[in-house]
Amino acid sequence: MRRSRTVSAAALLAGSALLLSACSGGDGGDDADEAGAKSGGEIVNRGCQPENPLVPGDTNETCGGDVVDALFTGLVEYDAETAEARNAMAESIETEDNKTFTVKVKEGWKFHDGTDVKAKNFVDAWNYTAYGPNGLQNGWWFEQVKGFADTQCEDPEAGCKDGETKAKELAGLKVVDDYTFTIETEAPFSVLPAKLGYTVFSPLPDSFFDDPDAFGRKPVGNGAFKFDSWADNQEIVTSKFADYVGEQKPNVDKVTFKHYQDMDAAYDDLLAGNLDFHDQIPTAALAGEKWKDDLADRAIEREVGIIQTVTLAPKFKGPGYSEFNKAVSLAVNREQITDKIFHGTYTPATGWVSPVVDGYQEDACGEWCTYDPDKAKDMLEEAKSKGFKVPKELATYYNADGDHKPWSEAFANQVSQVFEGEFKLVAKPYPTFAELRADVNDRKIDGFFRTGWQMDFPHIENFLNPLVKTGAASNDGLYSNKAVDDKLNEADAADSTEEATKLYQDAEKLLADDMPNIPMWYYGLAAGHSEKVENVKVTPFGTLDLYSISVK
Amino acid sequence: MGRYTLRRLLQLMPVLIGTTFLIHFMVWQLPADPFAGRCGERPCSEAFIARMTEQFGLDQPFYIQYLTWLKNAVQGDFGVTFNQVPVITLIENSYPNTLKLALVALAIEGVIGITAGVLTGLKRGGFIDNLVLVSTLFLMGLPIVVVGFAMKWIFWSELGWISPTVSTEVRWSELIVPGFVLATTSMAYIARLMRANIAENSRADYVRTAVAKGLENKRVVGVHLLRNSMIPVVTFLGLDLGNLMAGAIVTEGIFNINGIGLTIFRAIGRHDATIVVPLATLLVVIYIFSNLIVDLFYAVLDPRIRYE
Repeated sequence: MRRSRTVSAAALLAGSALLLSACSGGDGGDDADEAGAKSGGEIVNRGCQPENPLVPGDTNETCGGDVVDALFTGLVEYDAETAEARNAMAESIETEDNKTFTVKVKEGWKFHDGTDVKAKNFVDAWNYTAYGPNGLQNGWWFEQVKGFADTQCEDPEAGCKDGETKAKELAGLKVVDDYTFTIETEAPFSVLPAKLGYTVFSPLPDSFFDDPDAFGRKPVGNGAFKFDSWADNQEIVTSKFADYVGEQKPNVDKVTFKHYQDMDAAYDDLLAGNLDFHDQIPTAALAGEKWKDDLADRAIEREVGIIQTVTLAPKFKGPGYSEFNKAVSLAVNREQITDKIFHGTYTPATGWVSPVVDGYQEDACGEWCTYDPDKAKDMLEEAKSKGFKVPKELATYYNADGDHKPWSEAFANQVSQVFEGEFKLVAKPYPTFAELRADVNDRKIDGFFRTGWQMDFPHIENFLNPLVKTGAASNDGLYSNKAVDDKLNEADAADSTEEATKLYQDAEKLLADDMPNIPMWYYGLAAGHSEKVENVKVTPFGTLDLYSISVK
Repeated sequence: MGRYTLRRLLQLMPVLIGTTFLIHFMVWQLPADPFAGRCGERPCSEAFIARMTEQFGLDQPFYIQYLTWLKNAVQGDFGVTFNQVPVITLIENSYPNTLKLALVALAIEGVIGITAGVLTGLKRGGFIDNLVLVSTLFLMGLPIVVVGFAMKWIFWSELGWISPTVSTEVRWSELIVPGFVLATTSMAYIARLMRANIAENSRADYVRTAVAKGLENKRVVGVHLLRNSMIPVVTFLGLDLGNLMAGAIVTEGIFNINGIGLTIFRAIGRHDATIVVPLATLLVVIYIFSNLIVDLFYAVLDPRIRYE
């Protein structure tokens, strides 16, 4: 997943109270006539210092990701409003068996250094990213491609050096001609085309392979914006690429990603007109709707593809685990928390999949995600009768370097109140996100803990396979249910994307019986823009749509 | 004086080695795994961890890591950070800003603090004295974050004299308000220190002698009294320079100044020891040097002090 400060390290409240039907992207610019958008001008976007080199295969957090997104265009791109996937650099992606995909790449595209983008640029880039000894963070994205295991070292803990793997390249990638290549997956995977819009699947120019380290400081992409300069902890400047041939062309000439450490300072700059777009309105401004007074029609609310869940440590697994989860879930008054603590910007969750994605269904969690104290007590009895040992006191853990204390405490209080006399839930902090994750990864944690997911690409698949499949990388509760696995595999191999979506939805419904974790709420984004710009849209990823924004 | 300075500089070596060793030890030996939270809600891939472990020698014994670092550092190579940015670039980008901010703060706290101290020390119990006493008490009690927001609100929101944040060029004029914010606590402290010293020294023998000699009041206060009363204040100012640099995290955050304090703060949050160690070392060096300068300055202020 792409990690953002929102979910992990220094989460800030941001959100949207809009209902699904009203979730149409930026409200701020809706009244403006898009056809009349003026071209030219410069904008300043809120950014932060990237945590990794600016290489698509090595960027996994939003500080770098926002910039990389502007610099690269992949085979597929996602609609800024509906999140629907559509071909960008791909002329077509065809398959007959959902295992072998033939990709035709559009001709005439250029990298910022003037070289042509060809099929081999994709294949070379993907091979480099996947190859174990290169150690790129996003290499695992290619694990579904045939031959991935052969490109990895057998025992990476003992070091992973060049030449120690069975193969240097993915067996499943083949260049057919200059503008055609094929992808073969290990197992059928019907939604692969939708996944290809994630930046990891971007092409890389030949110059990258000469000096990857230098490239990471001065990237050359094929996107609508080219890299100009990077002053560490200050700003990254990009400007419009004149030879860009994509269908969507940006209006503005220059985008500066100005780095902020403090979201309040960024907000002040937004009000003062020094910053044109701010995607993380600080808590202080959200309180009492102050930001809406400050910004008026420049305030933007948008539901984004992030969900907050709470998971009970796997060490409690056994008979009654599901019933206990259900009991706690019934005791949470989600509405009250989203209203009082998140100032109505978040929406109570009714399932495990964010409403912004393809395949979302209402009420997948059903009655278990409603607030019903009486039923909660009944469920607790049931959990006990099945043999679940309810401790006198149980902790729910959060990381103190984010804004998670208020809701964790409210959650603990609500649950403790409902189960008074039975057990007490106490909110306990870990100092940092890293320390929390260390104990979660080592399975040492001994209570509830916060889990969250920010989508990589807008499809229901991304909320299920990585999170609830047996042995999946982010399956922190070690959930395992053969029926769910079978359903997910069936969906992966489905003939059409419609059928796949339906099967994924069935799998999600199955989760309600087991309650592998407790869905809490869907994130929303509170953003704002300056008076200088118009036609401002926010993508389902919570980023500024650089193609529609224009300077007045 | 020359030999004394040389001796002090030589003493710097063991101090530096000791402190870098300690900092290194503490930072790299933290139990937290630098890769635990780095890849979000999923563990980092083994291939990535293997690459980083190899690049930064994380699997080597601690003393080898330290010696390698020391060897490179002596040759002026501070290495790269976890995001492959040369540490020296980060220092070049942030250090001048921090230094500028600290100097502005130092000038503000020096001028205002000393003036207020002298005025009140000479006329104890008067209106100005009470005003300064109350206002310094108030300032010392206020957290810097409150002062920061209050100043920003007054000078940006209400008066519109400044921009809410400092631009990337970091001009001197932009640093006046942030410098004032940073200086508030020390300024109050200096005013009180100066007041107490003036009050005490004005009863000293040498002042009585000077007055008895028939020197004019300006000279008594300006040369005899002030010079002697300055000694503790200068000590404080010198040490404060180090504090101002490292402790500007809050001010740098409020005014979005890319400085050393914020850079270290961010690095600690990310468990990136590659930045923390060189920057902390740099701060130690600054501390030591400002101490040395203060010591040398004593001789200028107080003729009784001689360095051999």
